[in-house]
Amino acid sequence: MKEHSTHSGAKTASSVLTILLMNLWCYALLALWTLLGVCLFPFAFGLCLLVFRWSGDRIARLFIWIYGRGWLVLMSPFVRFRRQQMSVIKPDQPYLFVVNHLSFFDTYCMSLLPVHDITFAVRSWPFKMFWYSGFMRLARYLDVEGSSWEETLSNSKSAFAAGGAVLFFPEGHRSRDGELQRFYSGGFKVAISAGVQLIPLCIDGSDQLLPPDRKLLHPCRITLRALEPIDASLYADEGGHTRLRKLVKDRMTCALTEMRGEKL
Amino acid sequence: MTEQEVIELIDSSIAEEFELDRSEMGADANLYTDLGLDSLDTVDMVIVLEGAFNFKIREEEAIRAIRTLGDIHRFVLSKIDQQP
Repeated sequence: MKEHSTHSGAKTASSVLTILLMNLWCYALLALWTLLGVCLFPFAFGLCLLVFRWSGDRIARLFIWIYGRGWLVLMSPFVRFRRQQMSVIKPDQPYLFVVNHLSFFDTYCMSLLPVHDITFAVRSWPFKMFWYSGFMRLARYLDVEGSSWEETLSNSKSAFAAGGAVLFFPEGHRSRDGELQRFYSGGFKVAISAGVQLIPLCIDGSDQLLPPDRKLLHPCRITLRALEPIDASLYADEGGHTRLRKLVKDRMTCALTEMRGEKL
Repeated sequence: MTEQEVIELIDSSIAEEFELDRSEMGADANLYTDLGLDSLDTVDMVIVLEGAFNFKIREEEAIRAIRTLGDIHRFVLSKIDQQP
């Protein structure tokens, strides 16, 4: 009994030390990485404009993806990232991604995707974070709350026409209990109207990284899985978006259950 | 269509679109505080009603005053009454 409690005490002390070390490491390096990114961005951006001859927004999205990748590398001593079924995503194809939402860090985890030209469709509040908003506007991210439906659709179609992807969080908010919440229809209607393939993405474990109402990061495993693409153009009939939304939600529920090792 | 059929069509269309539980959808239910809808849902609400009743209402000022499910019932019924 005494041996058991000593062992358990040592384990607790070890995990507290790991958490402290993780937070010192991650917060310090992430701040440095962000500072480095902000300082180097104008030069790298200009250089890419000259070399690649891409549009400015595409270059901005590339740098945001690289920045996200940097986060993942810096976190990797404490967070195990896994990607599953990414082979369903082909480069330079106009996809619409929908992903469940567990954590603030989910957006950074999207750099696990094998494509970098991703236009995020988000609510208005991220545009109010002054340290990000300039980059978001440069990347032509979609403010679905502050724009009209016609603007969201038109800007999404422009992204697809350039061979890029658009990513929606159909729940609109982070889930507090990990369960899928109600899905908004916007992303599904965009996919149908644009006639593109829709790829559901399931993320699991990011809620353990920074649990709600905590300030300290915790070691965890984060898995991002891509599900089979769905041809949204087949749902263009009346009420099609509702059927598509339900189908996607069912598939995501099944996949998340499987990923968490729960019984269906 | 009778008044009751109109109300049933409104409620079923809204329940379907917003994944709502019909048992919570009383006429007094506030769309925002009771049913959990928000600003993103307003556009979809208009599209749902236009699709269900085949009229155009997106430019109507009266929509802005809608707060409860009962407000929607009254709005749609009066709109149907105004149709030739």
